[in-house]
Amino acid sequence: MNLTEEQKEQGRRNFLKALAGTPALAALGAAAATWGPVKGGPVKAAVIGTGGMGRGLIAQCQKEFIDLRALCDINPKRRKAVAESLVKNGWAAPKEYDDWKEMLQKEDLEMVIIATPLWSHADIAVGCLDAGKHVLCEKMMAKSEADCQRMIEAMKRNNRLLEIGYQRYYNPVYQASYNNVLKQGVIGDVYFARLVWHRNVNWRRKEDPPSPDFNPSKYGYPDWEHLVNWRLYKQYSEGLVAELGSHLITATNWFFESAPTAAYCTGSIARHKDGREVFDHVYATLEYPGGRAATFSSIESNAFEDHYEMFMGTKGTLILQNEIEVYLFTEGEVPQAAKVEVSKQTAAPVADASATRPADSQRTVTSATPGQIDRNISYKNEIAEFCSSVRTGKPVRCGPHKAMQSALTVLTANRAAEKGARLELPNA
Amino acid sequence: MLKRREFLKAVPSPPATDDGYWLHVHRTAMACRFEVTLPMAEQAGVQVATNALEDVAQIEQQLTIFQESSEVSFVNQFAGARPVRIAPSLFALLAQCQALHQETVGAFDITAGPLSQCWGFVRRQGRLPEAREIEAALALVGGDKLILQSEITTIQFARAGVTINLGSIGKGYALDQVAAKMRNQVQTALLSAGSSSLLAIGQGSHEQRGWSVGIRHPRHPNQRLAVLRLRNVAMATSGSEEQYFEHEGKRYGHIIDPRTGWPADQVAGVTVIAPSAALADALATAFYVGGRTLAESYCATHPNVLVLMLEREAEQPILIGTNPHCEVEIIHE
Repeated sequence: MNLTEEQKEQGRRNFLKALAGTPALAALGAAAATWGPVKGGPVKAAVIGTGGMGRGLIAQCQKEFIDLRALCDINPKRRKAVAESLVKNGWAAPKEYDDWKEMLQKEDLEMVIIATPLWSHADIAVGCLDAGKHVLCEKMMAKSEADCQRMIEAMKRNNRLLEIGYQRYYNPVYQASYNNVLKQGVIGDVYFARLVWHRNVNWRRKEDPPSPDFNPSKYGYPDWEHLVNWRLYKQYSEGLVAELGSHLITATNWFFESAPTAAYCTGSIARHKDGREVFDHVYATLEYPGGRAATFSSIESNAFEDHYEMFMGTKGTLILQNEIEVYLFTEGEVPQAAKVEVSKQTAAPVADASATRPADSQRTVTSATPGQIDRNISYKNEIAEFCSSVRTGKPVRCGPHKAMQSALTVLTANRAAEKGARLELPNA
Repeated sequence: MLKRREFLKAVPSPPATDDGYWLHVHRTAMACRFEVTLPMAEQAGVQVATNALEDVAQIEQQLTIFQESSEVSFVNQFAGARPVRIAPSLFALLAQCQALHQETVGAFDITAGPLSQCWGFVRRQGRLPEAREIEAALALVGGDKLILQSEITTIQFARAGVTINLGSIGKGYALDQVAAKMRNQVQTALLSAGSSSLLAIGQGSHEQRGWSVGIRHPRHPNQRLAVLRLRNVAMATSGSEEQYFEHEGKRYGHIIDPRTGWPADQVAGVTVIAPSAALADALATAFYVGGRTLAESYCATHPNVLVLMLEREAEQPILIGTNPHCEVEIIHE
């Protein structure tokens, strides 16, 4: 992004404001905790997969909505640590399993959260759906078109809910951007979106096995390295386009109200030649109907741009940065752009009045919650709303069909990179 | 009156829905943050708010004294020498200012600029002036210095050196102007200028009895003095806790009493609820200067004006007057 001096100044002010506590957005995180319980009580649930993502989701579970009764993970050390932290946070001690099938047989569950490596999503999700459980499965949906299809069929066959964890659908900032900006034509016709997720990391995890005699081959991995770094190996992972890009692609499909029709992609293992099989630098171009396009880049050698979705319209530009900040720029009026924020409605005052505060005033106001902006609101909403859907039958926001379109986009882009060709997407 | 804790106790609300959120659209104008807050359910809201904020920027172009090209700067440059014809909208605003000057017995005065200038507040670099500087400035201040001719919408100053500064009414005026347009386009919205001038269109969310606005305690910035619920009404707050300087242990606030030439110091903070934001804005400044006596005498003859005032040494605020479109909860810490 080429920033003018005024924008840089604005950026500095915003930074200082974030340090002082940004009232509108900080309120989002605090407010979610005030929702009342769902009718019918908390939904009886288990989590399969207590790695980084599983732990992240568990941290956003609210007792009013969900009754976490069991945890399943093939790594007993990690599972135990999560169980202990749940108890420390006032939950009843969850039952622990390393075999999800055994857990389904023994536990009285209504829903399962799946946060396992990509390649295992379909088998576990189908197994849970066939056991009559509602399923909230982490993204990306599955590692092949056939697997996605199997999950949808199991959902239909068992008349259960299946949601895929594209938490941007549950993020009020994205909802406002779609409903109140794009749909209202505020930025005009959008022909191009730029999707960026840049990091300066090697993506390799370092972790010791839970015990010297731990045997990963029981679980489909030749050794501990392939288990702990499954994201780097093609048998288990679809790489950066799946793990990072699919979030941005799903949001773009939502905002463009369409899936792409074709994909180009290229990439390389440019920096981290450590035996990994997936690209550490990747660049995709996605064609959408109506001559529209999106580009996605993800690199592991520079984090200056971090991650954002930028929608460039004939009347303005909408930038969603780091999943929680929104910037709106009117064409030809860049330095004085209006900025849009979203906050949760609560019983607390929506504004605080005082003597005139100059634009550069750094004083905090009474309603400001100290601390950082909390983007976990979207996970919190996702889990709470899924539980509400289990009780009320209200449709989920993303759902498996849109998630499958996103998965097909990722799979097509990766195949296009392998073949060095432009590939059309199959019809989902 | 509710205790603060009781009032803020979160009411359990249903799981998130699309209309369970506020949208805040804001930009910088008139050297402060202008913000429009409206429910996310107002789907055209961002467009309406963006247009409104653009209108504010245009009003600023007309009223600012910080740009030579503005209409007010033009008046300040030439009205000392000859009558200057001005836009009917500006004329109407100046006429309202003249009326308010009389009704507030001189406490509200748009000619007080030379005083702010000599106290260094115009450029936000406060300083203690010499007595003769104050006297010289006072000679340029007062309602009698403005000659308005309504038939030909002209303004002339009674002497050279007089200037007008709409800083104590411009933000409220801008809110009134954009609200007049927005009323046809949205059901409900809260407009804020610099957190000091606010205007409520409608009554906020469905469950609430009005737009809930906290009034920051002038002496304890992390506490609220009161919480208001506003329905189709405007409010403004005046105080000197944001702009002041200290000299030899004494604090000098940025609001100067145009009658004495010295910073007003009877009042810690005052909030005025009134039918229009311009009126609320002007009265807040006037009552900050004129104190309780002026507020009481004004409200005795003007219905629909409610004043929440914390006097300099007082522990508790006082309420003067009434306005049916606003409820006040005093917060007891």
